[in-house]
Amino acid sequence: MKRVEVKLSLPVVAPLLDVIRELSVDLQKSLAAPQALHDLDQDFRGAWINDLLASQNEDLHALLSLFDGEFFTEGVVAFDESNAEPIVRACTAFRLQLRERRLKTLSDDTLETGEIDMSGLDEEVRKAFMCYLFLATVQELIIQHLDSSIIGS
Amino acid sequence: MQLEDAWRVVVLNDPVNLMSYVVMVFKKVLGFDETKARKHMLEVHEQGRSVVWVGLRETAEAHVFTLQQWHLTAVLESDEAR
Repeated sequence: MKRVEVKLSLPVVAPLLDVIRELSVDLQKSLAAPQALHDLDQDFRGAWINDLLASQNEDLHALLSLFDGEFFTEGVVAFDESNAEPIVRACTAFRLQLRERRLKTLSDDTLETGEIDMSGLDEEVRKAFMCYLFLATVQELIIQHLDSSIIGS
Repeated sequence: MQLEDAWRVVVLNDPVNLMSYVVMVFKKVLGFDETKARKHMLEVHEQGRSVVWVGLRETAEAHVFTLQQWHLTAVLESDEAR
């Protein structure tokens, strides 16, 4: 089984985990991105949303589990074909939520390119944007190294 | 297949999802090869939307659900609405 281990800088990542944990409270109760379901009848729509939410919660759990006690002693996280798929999805859920809740002041262009003068941002927005970029980096890493594992599963 | 039976799965652009992520999701969910996945991803990125699948409603719904599970903005459209 292909496995990727990444050593992270604890002083840099630990504050970002606080942001992720705060956001996870809301994400456990609502979808990261509200979806247009006009063509579904009312009952079916409810079941559809509940199923999406259940799936989202499993993904969030997989991501949060990466940063357990071992991470705080070793600073290492590991990805393999058993957790790559839920984690890459959870990263997107958190990035969508960050945009919605913490990064409203930034333009879509800035979010797409990631190009901004960080020193001009206030502390909360800067931390949220760092978290947004960190999650994108995790996604890129997984896609680059485990794409075939995800596609094949 | 009759025209009235045809449903389209449409993916809409968003500023959050990485291009590499969208390509991977198209390959995983819709079975596209790299070239086709990139073509549809660029269509979404540049034109704001791409029709990624057309066919019977039940299968179209399954694709929309899975794409939404991956947090892409996917909608179901009747071909009659065109």
